[in-house]
Amino acid sequence: MPFSRFSFPRRLIVASLLLLLLIGSMFAAPLLTSADPVQIAVSKRLAGPSWAHPFGQDEFGRDRLARVLYGGQVSLTVAFLASFIAMAIGTFIGLMGAYFRGLFEFIAMRVSDVVLFFPPILLALLVVTIFGPGVSTMVAVLALLYFPSFSRIAYSETLRVSALDFVEAARALGTKPRRIVVSTVLPNILGAISVQFSLTAAAAITVESGLSFLGLGVVPPAPSWGQMIRGARGFMEQDPLGIFVPCAALCVTIYAINLFCDRLRDVLDPKGMEDGKDSVSPAGRQTAAPAKLDTDSAAELRGLTLSLNRGKREAPAELVRDITLKLRRNQCTALVGESGSGKSLTSLALMGLLPSSIRPSAGHIAIERKSGAAVDLVSLAAKEAEKVRGDDIAMIFQEPMTSLNPVLRVGVQMVEALQAHRKVTPEEARNRCVAALDRVGIPEAEQRFDSYPHELSGGMRQRVMIAMALLCEPKLLIADEPTTALDVTIQAEIIDLLRDLRANQDSGLSMLFISHNLGIVADIADRVVVMYSGEIVEEGPAGDILSDPHHPYTRALLESMPSLHEEMHSSRGDRLGAIGGTPPLPQARPSGCAFRDRCPDAKDACAATHPGLYPSQDALRAVRCIFAPEASSFLKEACDEPCVA
Amino acid sequence: MPDSSELNFNPNRRAVLTGIGAGMTAMALPGRVWAADGETLRYGLSTFPPSLAPWNNTGASSNNVKLCLYRGLMGYDPEANLIPEVAESYEWPDPNTVVFKLRDNAVFHNGEPVTAEDVVHTFESIIAEDSSAYLKSSFLNIDKVEAVDAKTARFSLKQPSAIFLKELANYCAGLVWKGSSADDPVGCGPFTKSSEERGVFVEVTKFADFYSKGEPICDKIRFTAYADQNLRYAALETGDVDVIEYLPWPQFDAVEQSETLNIGATVSPFMLVLFNVAKDGPFKVPKVRQAVGYAIQRQDVIDAVFAGRGTQLTGFPNPPGSPYDVSDPTIEYSFDPEKAKRLLAEAGYPNGFSCRLLSTSTYGMHQDTAAIVQAYLQMIGINATLDLPDWATRVKKGKEGDYDIAVHGLSGFYNDPNALWPLLHSGPANYTKSFGFESARIDELLEKGRATMDEEERGAIYKDLAQAYFEEVPQVPINWRAQAHAMQKSVKGFKAFPGWLNTSSAFSFDVSEPS
Amino acid sequence: MIRFALNKGLAALLMLWIVGTIVFAVLFVVPGDPAELLLTSDGAVASQESVESLRRQMGLDKPLITQYLDFLAGAARFDFGQSLIDHVPVGKTIALRLPRTIELILAGLFLGLITGIPAGTWAGLRPGRSFDRVVSAANAVLISVPGFVTGTLFIYLFAQVLRWLPAGGYVSFASDPLLHLKLLTLPAITVGLHLFSIIFRMTRASVLEMRTHDWVRTAVAKGLRRKLVVRRHVVRNALGPIVTVVGLQMGILLGSTVLIEFIYNWPGLSGYLVTAVQQRDYPSVRAVILVVSALFILINFMVEMLYSVLDPRIRL
Repeated sequence: MPFSRFSFPRRLIVASLLLLLLIGSMFAAPLLTSADPVQIAVSKRLAGPSWAHPFGQDEFGRDRLARVLYGGQVSLTVAFLASFIAMAIGTFIGLMGAYFRGLFEFIAMRVSDVVLFFPPILLALLVVTIFGPGVSTMVAVLALLYFPSFSRIAYSETLRVSALDFVEAARALGTKPRRIVVSTVLPNILGAISVQFSLTAAAAITVESGLSFLGLGVVPPAPSWGQMIRGARGFMEQDPLGIFVPCAALCVTIYAINLFCDRLRDVLDPKGMEDGKDSVSPAGRQTAAPAKLDTDSAAELRGLTLSLNRGKREAPAELVRDITLKLRRNQCTALVGESGSGKSLTSLALMGLLPSSIRPSAGHIAIERKSGAAVDLVSLAAKEAEKVRGDDIAMIFQEPMTSLNPVLRVGVQMVEALQAHRKVTPEEARNRCVAALDRVGIPEAEQRFDSYPHELSGGMRQRVMIAMALLCEPKLLIADEPTTALDVTIQAEIIDLLRDLRANQDSGLSMLFISHNLGIVADIADRVVVMYSGEIVEEGPAGDILSDPHHPYTRALLESMPSLHEEMHSSRGDRLGAIGGTPPLPQARPSGCAFRDRCPDAKDACAATHPGLYPSQDALRAVRCIFAPEASSFLKEACDEPCVA
Repeated sequence: MPDSSELNFNPNRRAVLTGIGAGMTAMALPGRVWAADGETLRYGLSTFPPSLAPWNNTGASSNNVKLCLYRGLMGYDPEANLIPEVAESYEWPDPNTVVFKLRDNAVFHNGEPVTAEDVVHTFESIIAEDSSAYLKSSFLNIDKVEAVDAKTARFSLKQPSAIFLKELANYCAGLVWKGSSADDPVGCGPFTKSSEERGVFVEVTKFADFYSKGEPICDKIRFTAYADQNLRYAALETGDVDVIEYLPWPQFDAVEQSETLNIGATVSPFMLVLFNVAKDGPFKVPKVRQAVGYAIQRQDVIDAVFAGRGTQLTGFPNPPGSPYDVSDPTIEYSFDPEKAKRLLAEAGYPNGFSCRLLSTSTYGMHQDTAAIVQAYLQMIGINATLDLPDWATRVKKGKEGDYDIAVHGLSGFYNDPNALWPLLHSGPANYTKSFGFESARIDELLEKGRATMDEEERGAIYKDLAQAYFEEVPQVPINWRAQAHAMQKSVKGFKAFPGWLNTSSAFSFDVSEPS
Repeated sequence: MIRFALNKGLAALLMLWIVGTIVFAVLFVVPGDPAELLLTSDGAVASQESVESLRRQMGLDKPLITQYLDFLAGAARFDFGQSLIDHVPVGKTIALRLPRTIELILAGLFLGLITGIPAGTWAGLRPGRSFDRVVSAANAVLISVPGFVTGTLFIYLFAQVLRWLPAGGYVSFASDPLLHLKLLTLPAITVGLHLFSIIFRMTRASVLEMRTHDWVRTAVAKGLRRKLVVRRHVVRNALGPIVTVVGLQMGILLGSTVLIEFIYNWPGLSGYLVTAVQQRDYPSVRAVILVVSALFILINFMVEMLYSVLDPRIRL
């Protein structure tokens, strides 16, 4: 939760200012107008705007500006006070109910339910008739109306939080329940509660005006917006301004509060607004030169640079820089690197699945279709790209738990993949999908076809993903860390499966295998490409690279796994153990070599030049380091002068 | 004694959005949507009649419908003159006895002739011990009702009564067939109830054997309830109904200027201030109450609350159309804050005081009048806090004296000062009179006025009453307010009765026709 | 499943008993006397004897505990007694009026769904674009203008000025189908606008969240057409939360269409309830609350069922 390190978020500035301005102007009413909101002047009733009365006068001749400002004080005070009380009571009830369960839970939740059963208007009617109308009754009614929603939210949030590791841990350590609730659970549910608070405050303002309108609210002559609307409704035709002014005030205030809580929600839970993973929004068109391919290539990237658009004020950040990569036909190329090295983005660029904020700023992409034509999915029209994806090129993802739609049966999701590219009868589709499931080693494929994803284990789901990817026999399969989320024993099985499938697909299958785990790479890859901070730092045949790495980073990667087999057991450690630090942010790369901050062998010279990717004599491998053997000849040629000091 | 007109209850909780209008053009039709068929008079009620029990007063809407179904011995002609109704004639053999001769052709809706036995049954039921009839206390003045013969009934009164005939003309004194069950009273009015949908409408159909030949003129009257006054007016304007009651005040101008609509307006109920004089406090002192009378700028109430439709009421609320002139400038209030302050000082409150002002939020005009009264009381140093509960609570608080000062609206049902009896005469507390107010002088004048048959003598008595009203201050009057029916210009025969008879306007349904 | 239903049923009975008891108790704390009110409507003055005898006729002179037990025994047999005001059996009135309120809500719901879900989806797929900004801002405007204002405005515009529709009222469908639909139009739109704002917001938020899920990317990677991805992998998944919110709203609306019924003279259940409270018609108030609560429980139950159909991970 961001509360511990709360600095004022930029997104909230406009909304907060607007809200403050509104509240401020209402409470500064005496400064803004000298008129008395209850002073009647019947002879001037319904008078239009004048210098003395900018919003005109109401049906009693009272100054409308003063009434709308002072009325705002009443409306806002009631709304916020009621929301606060509702929040306090509701949160307490929900918290207690969820944390202590048992009888507490039963009573707490039933109390809330009973309140919900009463039609709100009746609740208001009854409370007001018993206690008489007025501000305090109003606050009580609104608090009563709204505490159940707080208790429901607090309840479900607490249930969620209580199951989290650190709460369990605190409980195991014998911390007193009260302490756990106050210091551990409460801070974690505050986010949801505070959003609900702002929503409630907005709703309370409308309800307050509604109740006042009914005469169940604020007692006249004290102004409130509801009272103003009530009074003006009868004269709507003669004097539209009378109804417009309070409605507009209500409207602006509610807009401000809504804006504030939308922004607050974004800040507390940025997932919703993040554009990063969105794959549905249509991408902007990009023109690119017609793609061409070498004869032995399944796909190629030439000088590809991917930039993140960071708005008008900041320069775009280059997430991936000048990548040239050739995926040879019927070979498996492994793309290796830490998180954030750009390897996943590179693969998404191949699929044409880049988030809309990331665009190629230079270079070309080309994928070979079954027809032999070459296409670039990033710049291809959406309709055309749909034809290529899943048919010519397929992809499996890292998290089998979330990569399948949880509410659709496995079979449905497979059949739609097939039907997207082949005209098949439902029966035929079913048979082919069951056969595909069978091929990836799923027992009782016939039954599994009708299962929901949550009924399958992680390994099974990844097998389903693989079966689904290969349904249309694509020429190129991209596997983005397909084993990372799986158990160690399952990992090996999946790798074996992929290897077998590649060997057995008659039409031939090229593969781009992405991993941070060199141990797995050794089992499957023909070629290895190592990426660091958006650049390729070393590439070459798998055997050569793994046995004799030339780049310090590749060496560090290898060293950080004690032995190939042990590495399998720490599958999730995608940080470098052998060297400290983290990769630099794209906008803050050091001058010269990007790796030099963390490099054990770094010298002064590393800061001076940005190293190129130096190919070896036989052109089979290349490395981006000025101290690598491949670099020596280049540097001598290019730099006879003492440029490397 | 209707006092509703404007049920301002607009329940709402959730705010609602505007916007979409698409698809509606498809349903659009020009002109009238609810076509009039020429035979049916469509009447917009202010509320659905809670009950049609013949002798209970359950509001003006009920009374309109009841006058279609039931008629009593006395009634009003379309010009609002008191006439024998089911009775053909009457005579007073002595001041304590009145004998009615019934119409030969009067029959109940079930075909049974109206006989003196039915008259006896009706009035014995009204004054029976378990009766909840509106006029029970008035008719307790009846010593005996006898059937002299089949068509002659004789009433013996305990005391002479100048207003007995007017009471018999009330909408709560309809004759009911003696063989009726309690749940299904059979009347002899011009219409029978033909269909009804609770909460929506009541429809009555012409009774072919009605005793007045050629009446009623229209075949049916359909009473539809429109609780929201704005909607009621909208329904009239769009032609959904022919006549509406309680036209909202802001719409008077529009109707008067309209080429298709007519207005039937009269000044009828009056707004007033009541006091709790049982409590030890400032309002126990008549001078303080008088001060309130001088503190209020009455025209402001009329302008702001009733859109200018009303007249100032500065003295005794002698009903409009009353036969007696009791006006006298020396016993009338004026707007004179200085005098009000002086009176307060004389009463020992030179610096004013604080109190609670009771009214109701159920009726907008009560609430708004209270707001203005409060503003003017403020100016003479009386700090009133408004207490605006719903109507039910208002009635209870009024009856129990749970207030200091109250703003209220009232009317009677006939144009005679005696109609003020329940508001001024001591007796059990009710919410329409100042709590705890008792005056032997006023009681005596009221009693004398009722028992006196001589018109001139009565005029003098009520002049004295007006004097007592000003001096003893049982209440402070504010203004008469206008009350109007609005109708299509094509409607013939319907007449809004003047003054306090306004709620008996349904007598003119006999000669009304929609076009 | 059967166990679930049984548990729910028992809990529902308990809840209804609690609700009924609370209403019963509260009504006797609320000031005002139905007998006196009936006889003093419109400012009439009733004598004390009249009021007392009417109280006796209404059965209000019986001891409170007797009245309470009578009420419970009646409710158990679905007999809610007679209205104190007009002696019509309360059950009959509810049977007449409840369908009208439900019709109004369903018509509004229909309008809300067919506009709210597409608009919410469109806005959720393109957050921050002009459509999203315009509709979201308009939503804030609309939500702030109270229903009694929009209602009055609609009547003025469509009935008084344009004369397209009647000002308000009700006729049964059987007696005049076309007029029935015309009379339904404006109130249904008013309810629909309210639901639109809620459904729009919920759909937008839900789509915004759903579209970032991995399975959406999978669907795109499979080469599915965009429309299919949106419909089957975004909107379909977003339905769960929408159903929950709509269900809750339906329950709340059951007792809260008062304003709309009042403005348009639509003789539904809410109006009956409010009139009953004003008249202190105890049997009617109690019965309406019980019926509304029972429906509320039923709707919640149906929402849970529907949710488990929409999301197979939820098992009942």
